[in-house]
Amino acid sequence: MVADLTQADCLRVPAQSLEKPSSNMEVTALQVEQLGLQLDGKVILQDVSFSLPTSGVTSVIGPSGAGKSSLLRCLNGLLTQWSGTVLVDGADSRQWRGGWDRLRRHVGLIAQKPVVFDASIRANVCFGIHGWRQRRRADELVEISLRQAALWDEVKDRLDAPAATLSVGQQQRLCIARAVAIKPAILLLDEPTASLDPRSKQLVEQSMQRLARDIPLLCVTHDLEQAQRLAGRTIFMCDGRVIEEGESNQLFSQPECIETREFLRWSVCDCN
Amino acid sequence: MNSQHLLARDTISKGIVWLLAVPALLIPTIVLCYIFWQAAPVLDWGFIVGTTDGAGFGVSDGIFAQLLGSLLLAVMACAIAAPFALGTALYYRTYASPRQQRLLTAMFNMLQGIPPIVFGLCGLVVLVNLFAWGVSLISGAVVLAMVVLPLLVLNTLATLERIPHGYTEAGMALGLGNGAIIGRLWLPRSWLNLLTGVLLAMARALSETAPIMFTATVFSGVVWPDSLFSPVTTLQTHIFYLAQESNDPQVISIAWGSAAVLVLLVASLGVLARLLYKLGED
Repeated sequence: MVADLTQADCLRVPAQSLEKPSSNMEVTALQVEQLGLQLDGKVILQDVSFSLPTSGVTSVIGPSGAGKSSLLRCLNGLLTQWSGTVLVDGADSRQWRGGWDRLRRHVGLIAQKPVVFDASIRANVCFGIHGWRQRRRADELVEISLRQAALWDEVKDRLDAPAATLSVGQQQRLCIARAVAIKPAILLLDEPTASLDPRSKQLVEQSMQRLARDIPLLCVTHDLEQAQRLAGRTIFMCDGRVIEEGESNQLFSQPECIETREFLRWSVCDCN
Repeated sequence: MNSQHLLARDTISKGIVWLLAVPALLIPTIVLCYIFWQAAPVLDWGFIVGTTDGAGFGVSDGIFAQLLGSLLLAVMACAIAAPFALGTALYYRTYASPRQQRLLTAMFNMLQGIPPIVFGLCGLVVLVNLFAWGVSLISGAVVLAMVVLPLLVLNTLATLERIPHGYTEAGMALGLGNGAIIGRLWLPRSWLNLLTGVLLAMARALSETAPIMFTATVFSGVVWPDSLFSPVTTLQTHIFYLAQESNDPQVISIAWGSAAVLVLLVASLGVLARLLYKLGED
């Protein structure tokens, strides 16, 4: 029956109802319900609904301008003028205790372009930790975070060197370590390997898979092969809407919607 | 159109640009050369570090007291204005609505266009007379602070706007509040450029004569202010007095010497500001 769905049917049916929820989906780290966003009168996101399991990687794919990055920024609270409901660990993100700043510590975000602060590698890792005393005593946390980001071996002998001296790939992993150091419950990544060489890309993916054992990762990517490599789940977005979501293996091998099939085949999406 | 025509047109346009640009470069150069040529007879180390006993309007002694008076007024004006400028710029960047931002920008652009003598008049009425601070160092410093405030605010805003948005966003993504963003990201990154703005504001304060003429300075009887509420003597008003009141060529030479020192002081601040700016950009 699903295979017979037309393009219009695919868009009418809420993405979540396209498949039976699996058992590990019952407990969710993040639940998004009918999320909508307009910026300067332009609709960026509409009726976006999905949920994140308590661990594992969920990739978000889709053409440029689909609203993927805006989605992450809404979830992290960098954009706040959205409508709908975002439940983080069952609590409404708008009512989060401590406000948006506290929510951002709970839902970490790593941007596409690595941004390191004008400080040492060590200071960068500790940057998000509250209190200068805690930052000074964070040696163990620095090592753990850098190991999680697959960067420890490369920088352990020069932790006091300026972070700007690292390569772009290393800087991206440093950003991951910095985000991990504040122990977020959910980590959002916006095309984290977009500007990296193959070796750095591989290391970042390893780091992501290591992190995904403990916390849920929501990763926006243009790289369809990467989404398949990361396995887990995949959400396909187009024109501000979730078109289809499911287990990555299934979505890539047997996409249910015609838009998904077109996108996977020709990297284009015409969902209007 | 053949290549000869194109070449001729290019030459003509080059010529027009040169004709327009040369006076703008030549006139200030001639003026500077003339100032230093006139100042040459009196310009020596003794002239700069020599002090007067306070009497005789300083027509025969050095200008050290005037030089320090000018610097003191400029430093105090910037010390008063800089925190307010920083606060205003930070409010603009963090809390102000777009409407408030438009209003603030328009207001400071307008304030920058107000003739400094108007600030001087306000200072005379409010500070000197109403508050009974008298003609004093503090009255002059506050008036000069008002004069340089718009420049400092606009410069601070420009400095903060040069911080990449991604830099701020990376801090916000770590859950840093506005205080931490300002204190741990913005200020450490932009303090050199902020200092550049303060130096430029000092240069501007050193260039102002009108607002301090009837709020801070006297022409004679003062070497060094005893307190914040004492009058001060400055290079600007010293030049004004000597040039206006005397026909003695020696005295006029002292006026030229004072002008040359003032020009050097302002130029040094400009060069230092430029160096700091370049350092900040690197």
